[in-house]
Amino acid sequence: MNECERIEQSMERWLDGELGAAESEVVRSHVDSCANCGAVQQRLVKLERALGNVLAAAAPRIEFAPFWSELERRIDEKTPWHKDLRERIHGWFAVPRTAWAVPALIVLLIAVLSYDSYLPFWRSRNNSATVVSIDAYGRSVALLREDESKTTVIWLYQNQEGDDEAAEETPQPGPAF
Amino acid sequence: MKLLKKLPSRVLLFSWLTLAAAGILGAAEKQPQTVQISIGTILAGNQNDEFDAKLKGMEAQLKVLKYRSYRLLKNESQTVPWRGEKAFEIPGGRTLTITPQEFQDNRVSVKVRLTQGQKPLLDTTVKIPNKGNFILGGPPHEGGALVLSISAAAQ
Repeated sequence: MNECERIEQSMERWLDGELGAAESEVVRSHVDSCANCGAVQQRLVKLERALGNVLAAAAPRIEFAPFWSELERRIDEKTPWHKDLRERIHGWFAVPRTAWAVPALIVLLIAVLSYDSYLPFWRSRNNSATVVSIDAYGRSVALLREDESKTTVIWLYQNQEGDDEAAEETPQPGPAF
Repeated sequence: MKLLKKLPSRVLLFSWLTLAAAGILGAAEKQPQTVQISIGTILAGNQNDEFDAKLKGMEAQLKVLKYRSYRLLKNESQTVPWRGEKAFEIPGGRTLTITPQEFQDNRVSVKVRLTQGQKPLLDTTVKIPNKGNFILGGPPHEGGALVLSISAAAQ
């Protein structure tokens, strides 16, 4: 980018008085010494003047009163509580996806770490009862754990003298596990 | 830009809310007030091939025992508080006393005591998966053997 191009870029802001003193001085001295940039400046001044004339001629025909009254009405208008609530809720759920990703990750993590509590269909591998302690007072006891049907069996052999509930009830030999 | 500035605080807020909800759910899950204890009393025998239709849901479990016939004699459910005792009458003058001990890792620990009159037959402590069961069998009855299905459901 040469000097003229740089000056042309700053020229509109210079003409609008938006440049600082030092920068304005650089642009002004270049425009004074450069014929091309001087011509550009003249075109811009003419264009600005023409636009100003058009706007000045059209402005009286524009009715600003309805615009201002409508604006004031909207400012003064009281929003119904349900609309306000709806907009607030919408604002919360319009949170960008990244905001949802973190809680979703936490939920996933909790679910994975405690799947046994939250996802009953994953419990199958740990679905059998566990015998912690057993005391059969000297009688024979068989313990069986069958994985396929998730069955834990404690089988008590009441085969000692005096255990039978009645004379006609012969103790069974017990199942063949 | 405004939304981007709010993003970290919203992420934090949502995360805290999620954690709080999960915590409440977890706490609720881990602190049941009572236990529903159900005792199914079944007579197993070898005299015939009768299989009680009411025991259809337990068929796979009962098959493990290899008896030929199974008949449901009684089904009883009671709500028991933690560390509270509940006695269930079992045919043949027997009593089954259940004491729920604790609830941990979705398992209900129960102390089970089987007595015949004053005579203790068996004392055992078993950890049952919540809403699961185990089988206690063996006491002779009417030419067969009693099979007790002991279920526990934390509430």
